[in-house]
Amino acid sequence: MSLDQFIEDFEEAVEDVEVGTLSPSTNYRQLEQWDSLSVLTVIAMVDADYDVRLKADDLKGCESLEALFAHIQSKASS
Amino acid sequence: MSLPEALAERVVLVVGATGNIGSAVVRHAAERGAKLVLTGRDAAKLDSFWVRGLLKTVQADVSTEEGRLALLEETPQLDGVVFAAGVAPLAPVRYLKEAAIQACQHLNTTVPLLLIRDLLKAKKLNQSASIVCISSVAARKGTAGYAAYAGSKAALEASVRCLAVELAPKAIRVNCVAPGMVESEMAEGFAESASDEAMEAHIQAYPLGIGQAADVAGAVSYLLSEDARWVTGVILPVDGGFLL
Repeated sequence: MSLDQFIEDFEEAVEDVEVGTLSPSTNYRQLEQWDSLSVLTVIAMVDADYDVRLKADDLKGCESLEALFAHIQSKASS
Repeated sequence: MSLPEALAERVVLVVGATGNIGSAVVRHAAERGAKLVLTGRDAAKLDSFWVRGLLKTVQADVSTEEGRLALLEETPQLDGVVFAAGVAPLAPVRYLKEAAIQACQHLNTTVPLLLIRDLLKAKKLNQSASIVCISSVAARKGTAGYAAYAGSKAALEASVRCLAVELAPKAIRVNCVAPGMVESEMAEGFAESASDEAMEAHIQAYPLGIGQAADVAGAVSYLLSEDARWVTGVILPVDGGFLL
C-alpha cells in the first residue's frame, strides 16, 4: 500500500480527473469534479481495493490525499 | 386502516424480526392481536423481544439451508409470513464486489423464494394465508450506487407477482410493501456513504419527509389482515410520495 498507488487509484475512481494531475497535498474536496457520486465512489473504491470501510465523515475530515491515505492506513491496521 | 384486533389469532412468522422494519412489524402486528413467531440471526436481540402474542423466537440464519430447516421444524401452522430480512450493498458498479452482489441477490431474492417453497412443501401455510415481502422504491427508481440492491428487489417483486397467481387457487395472497427511506439501519448505512448535500437532496425528494418503520408496519398489517382479502400481487409503495 503506497501513497503513489493510492493517488493513482483515487484519480481513476473520480470521474474526469486526469491521471497524474493530483499530488499528496491536493485538497480533493476542492476539486471541481468532487460531488456526491465521488464520495460514494471513493468509499466503494477504498472498500474494494484496500478493504477499509470509510464513512462520508472520514472524507470530510481530511484536507489532503496524504491525510486521507494516512487515515486509511490507520483504519487498516486497527 | 387496520383495526385494533385486525390480526386477532392470526399466526404470523416474521423473518428478519430484529431489524428496524422487522421489529416495527412485530410491534404493530402484536398490537393488532397477532400470534407471533419471530426469527433472526441475532440470538441476544431475539431474546430481548417481548410482545403480546409472542409464541416463540427461533434463532436461525435463513440464508442457509440448515437455518431454514431449523426454522421450519419450529414453525407452527401459519396465517401470515413477513419477509423483512435484507442487505443493501451501496457502490458504483465499477467497485461492486462479486461476493456482495451474490449475497444481496441471495438474501433479497432467492431466500424468500426458498423459504416460501419450504413452507409450502411442509404444508405450514394455512388456506387464506398472507405473505408480505419487504421490497424498496429502489426497484422502480434509478439511483447511482444501487444497482445490485435495486436489481434484487425488482426481481423479488417480479417473483411476488408470479407467486400471487400461482398460489391464488389456495387463496394464499402474496404482496410486497415497497418502502422509501425510513429511519433504519439501512438508511444509516446510506447516510454514512452519502455526503451531507446528497442526503439533503434525497430527503427533499420525499414530499411527506422521510418515514418511520412504523409507517411501513401499518401497511404490512393491512396486507396481513382480512381487510386485504381481495388484494394480491400488489407492490404497495409506502414512501411519503417519493415515487410521484
